Amino acid sequence: MIPPPLALLAELTYRCPLRCAYCSNPTDWRRYGDELDTDAWVRVVHEAADLGVLHLHLSGGEPLLRDDVEPIARAGRDAGLYVNVITSAWGVDRARIDALAAAGVDHVQVSLQHTDGARGDAIAGVEAHAHKLAVARMVREAGMELSINVVLHRGNLACVGDVIALAHDLGAQRIELANTQYHGSAFPHREALLPSRAQLDEALATARTWKARLAGRLDVIYVVPDWFADAPKPCTGGWGRQFLTVIPDGTVLPCAGAHDLPGMVFDNVRAKPLATIWRRGQDFERFRGTAWMGDPCASCEHRERDWGGCRCQAFALTGDPAVTDPACAKSPHHARIVAEREVAREAPPTLYRLDTTRRRSAR
Amino acid sequence: MVPSLARRARLRWDDARGTHVLLYPEGVLVLNPEAAEVLALVDGARSFEALVDALCEAHPEVPRETLDGDARELLEALAARGFVTTSAP
Repeated sequence: MIPPPLALLAELTYRCPLRCAYCSNPTDWRRYGDELDTDAWVRVVHEAADLGVLHLHLSGGEPLLRDDVEPIARAGRDAGLYVNVITSAWGVDRARIDALAAAGVDHVQVSLQHTDGARGDAIAGVEAHAHKLAVARMVREAGMELSINVVLHRGNLACVGDVIALAHDLGAQRIELANTQYHGSAFPHREALLPSRAQLDEALATARTWKARLAGRLDVIYVVPDWFADAPKPCTGGWGRQFLTVIPDGTVLPCAGAHDLPGMVFDNVRAKPLATIWRRGQDFERFRGTAWMGDPCASCEHRERDWGGCRCQAFALTGDPAVTDPACAKSPHHARIVAEREVAREAPPTLYRLDTTRRRSAR
Repeated sequence: MVPSLARRARLRWDDARGTHVLLYPEGVLVLNPEAAEVLALVDGARSFEALVDALCEAHPEVPRETLDGDARELLEALAARGFVTTSAP
C-alpha cells in the first residue's frame, strides 16, 4: 500500500509579473497556459483531501493574478486542509488580504528579494519591494500566519542577517532562506547566481547566529545549497512519497520541476482521478522507492534517507534522470558540480540587472 | 493557568492515517492517542487543573501525579514550539 501524500502544491498559474532570474518554473511556461478553471481546482482539492493530503499550497507563478484563489482556498479549508498561499504580493491590496483571510487561508508566504529596495527591485525586475513590506504587515493585521521567503544567490547573500531582522520586525513567525536550486530559468543563469564558498560560509554563520538569537520567536530555516554539499538532499522527501504537484494545465507531477525530464508520461487531472495518478501513475512509479536505482545508490546505506537525491538535477547535469544525483560525492559525475563551483570562484561578484527578455528565451 | 492552542496550529483527525495530527505552517505533528486526548481538552477556557481532573476521570487507574506530569510535559514541549500558549485564569 502506498502511503498517502502530505501536501499538494497547486500551481494555479505560471503567469508572474516578476522577472527573477532564479525562478524554478519552466522556461517554456507558456506551453502550460491552458489553466484549469475554478471548478476543476475545487475538485482537485477535494480529491487531494480524500487521498490524505493535509497541506494545500496555492502557488504559481503569482497565484493572486487569478481572481478565484478564495473559493479554492475555501474548499481546502472546509476539507480540513491547512491552507498556504505563496505570493510575491504583486498587485495585492488590503481588500484582497481580507478576502483571503475570510476564505480560510491560514498562512501567507511573501517573497522578498533583498532588504535594500533598489536592489530588491533590480532582482525582481519590477518595482515591488516597498509594497511587499506593506502587504506582509497586512497579512498579520488580518490574523494570518506570515512567512518570509527569500531565494539566496550571489546578489543577496550578504543581507541574510538584515533580512532575518526585517522578517521579525514584520511580524513573521517563520523565514525560509533557500539557496537557489538550479532548475528552470535558474540553470541558464547560473553563472550570474552562483555564490562563492566564502559568501556561503559567512551567510550560514550569520543565519545560525540569528536563529539562536530569535529562538522561540522566529523560525529561521536555512536551506543549504546542494551544489556546495557532498551529500544529496532527499528531494521532495523522496519521489512520490510525500508531495504531489498539479501545474496550471492540470498535469500532475511528483515534483514541481519534473516536466523537463525525458520520458515522462504526463497524467492530467482532467482525465484521471488524483488517487489513481498518485498510486499507479507511471511518472510516480518510475522513481518511487529504491528498485529503479543503480549503483552507487543501489548498494548505498543512505538510499532510504536521500532516495538518490534530485532526479531533475541528475538530468540537468548528466542527461540521464536515473543516475545518482551528482550532488553526491559518490556520483561519478560529482566533478561536474565541483567544476560549477569553480565558475563561481572566478566570476566577479557583480550585482546584475536582469534583461527581461533573456529569462524566457534562455535555455 | 489556562492553556490554549495557538492560532498557527490546528488539531484534527486524519482519516487516511488513522491518527490525530497537529497542522502548522509547513509542518505536521503526528500525535499519539495520549497526546491527542490532552490536546482535545485544550480549549482556551478550561484550566490546567480542570484538564487534569478530566484526565483522572477518564483514567481512574492512573495516579493523578502521573497524568498531571505527562500533560504538563506535553504542553510545555508544545509551548516551546509555539503551538500552545498559556494565560492566567
